[in-house]
Amino acid sequence: MTPTVSASGLSLRHGGTRALDDVSLRLSAGVTGLLGPNGAGKTTLLRVLATAVPADRGSFTVLGHDPGTSRGRQEVRRRLGYLPQTPGFHPDFTAFEFVDYVAILKELTDRAARHREVRRVLDEVGLGGVRGKRIRKLSGGMRQRVALAAALVGDPGFLVLDEPTVGLDPEQRMRFRELIAQAGEGRTVLLSTHQTEDVAMLCHRVVVLAGGTVRFDGTPAELTARAAGRVWSSTERDPGAKAGWRTGLGTFRNVGDPPAGADLLEPTLEDGYLLTLDGAGTEVAA
Amino acid sequence: MTDTTTGGATGGGSGWHVPEEDLRAYARGELAAPLLWSADTHLAACAHCRGVLADVGDPVALDAGWERLDAELDAPRPGLLEGLLLRCGVADHTARLLAATPGLRRSWLGAVAAVLLLTVTVAAGHPAGGSPVLFLALAPLLPLAGVALSYGPALDPTYEMAVVAPTHGFRLLMIRTVAVLAVGLGLNGLATLALPGYGLRALGWLLPALALTATGLALTARLGPVLAPSLVGGGWIALLVTAEAARVNADDPLAPFTAAGQGVSALVAVLAAGLLVLLRDRFDAGRAHAA
Repeated sequence: MTPTVSASGLSLRHGGTRALDDVSLRLSAGVTGLLGPNGAGKTTLLRVLATAVPADRGSFTVLGHDPGTSRGRQEVRRRLGYLPQTPGFHPDFTAFEFVDYVAILKELTDRAARHREVRRVLDEVGLGGVRGKRIRKLSGGMRQRVALAAALVGDPGFLVLDEPTVGLDPEQRMRFRELIAQAGEGRTVLLSTHQTEDVAMLCHRVVVLAGGTVRFDGTPAELTARAAGRVWSSTERDPGAKAGWRTGLGTFRNVGDPPAGADLLEPTLEDGYLLTLDGAGTEVAA
Repeated sequence: MTDTTTGGATGGGSGWHVPEEDLRAYARGELAAPLLWSADTHLAACAHCRGVLADVGDPVALDAGWERLDAELDAPRPGLLEGLLLRCGVADHTARLLAATPGLRRSWLGAVAAVLLLTVTVAAGHPAGGSPVLFLALAPLLPLAGVALSYGPALDPTYEMAVVAPTHGFRLLMIRTVAVLAVGLGLNGLATLALPGYGLRALGWLLPALALTATGLALTARLGPVLAPSLVGGGWIALLVTAEAARVNADDPLAPFTAAGQGVSALVAVLAAGLLVLLRDRFDAGRAHAA
């Protein structure tokens, strides 16, 4: 199957920091999760793939178009939906007006067709009933849905979502997961997140990024399997564990290399993620 | 459109209906505004006219008409600025792009008007014969600042979404620049009219304003939307301070406001505009804001 996105050797420096270092990946239809600690380069990678910023080295294509050329970049942008980490809104716009504004930026200039599309995407994210409300009067979860609706304008083949569930309460997060799962049907979605539950529930594939490099690229089950036989329970925190914490049951859950005879536990995706980050940053030393 | 009273009024109860010839034009998609708007509004409430329309129109054209009506009914009411632009004949999509321009917000325009009022008051308080130096020095900076406020990640909340949209960044920049420049120069022009005692000398800000704005935009392509206008504004102030130090007679105009200075401003404006066109692709590649 031809991948939607094919990237090779992407590198980018911010000042003296190497934000991306020789990143190569291929994305196909479905939701791919992008996990990584703060400063891993997730947002930078998403901004490069969304054509917001060019890479210093390397290349990529989206649906066969090369954004390295002016014409190719425009073709990529016509097929792209992007929800940035902190989507900005014009304070006086209603939900309808804001999505309408983005639709105009996406070259939908025919008024009737554009308004039909705006209504469609607002209905799709469940905001058809509040489309006339000013954005500043909407809740944080609703604003995120407005931004998602804007990203969905024009039915893009490649959807880039940068930490869309940050700051949402559990109910809003669950609602957003439904929307992302729905958006992933028939199109390629790249979802950056800190939430391993998001990846476990939504993604057919996961990429772990740390220090600007890809540390893992596979299925959530494969990431979870990395921790098989490396998670155990104990009554005290095991000093040999790479990470360990007291659970609600009063026992300690340890991740690392277990001692002989340890009481092994079923690993989770988070365990596999923590072990993958081992040596890649400070996040594991919890 | 005339009052035809073609039968019992089933919509609105006024007895008025859209003339059949207008309904035929409507069905063909040939009815022009404002008759089109009237027909749209009336059809939404009048079953009789909808029936007549169904008889006179072909189904495909009728569906298109309903779609247009649906879109009209659902369309948000435009704000003050957007409504004004629409009445001036600006296309609705361009008006929406301009309504989102930070440099056209009432708060900014109010600040510009306040600064101009202050400088005009100071200038008017001085005896005629010299130049309104404070006004001439500040007026060119206002359009520069307005344009700088209209583009870039620091001040446009939707910049990140705009930069990855297929609409060319340079086109968006130019649409906003023309609008902000027109409003800014208009306000400056009104302020100039308040200084009749200075004659044409009070118009000495115009060419420097164009030169500063064009230079600021051209440098934005390389230095970004904050550093570039800051440098240009700083350079303008440094130039005026130098000119003031070099002035022999207190009644002489500062060098930028002499005929030679105006010529240099015009030349800089043209050269900067040319450079801006040459660098236009940088506004599209996501590089203009990186610096």
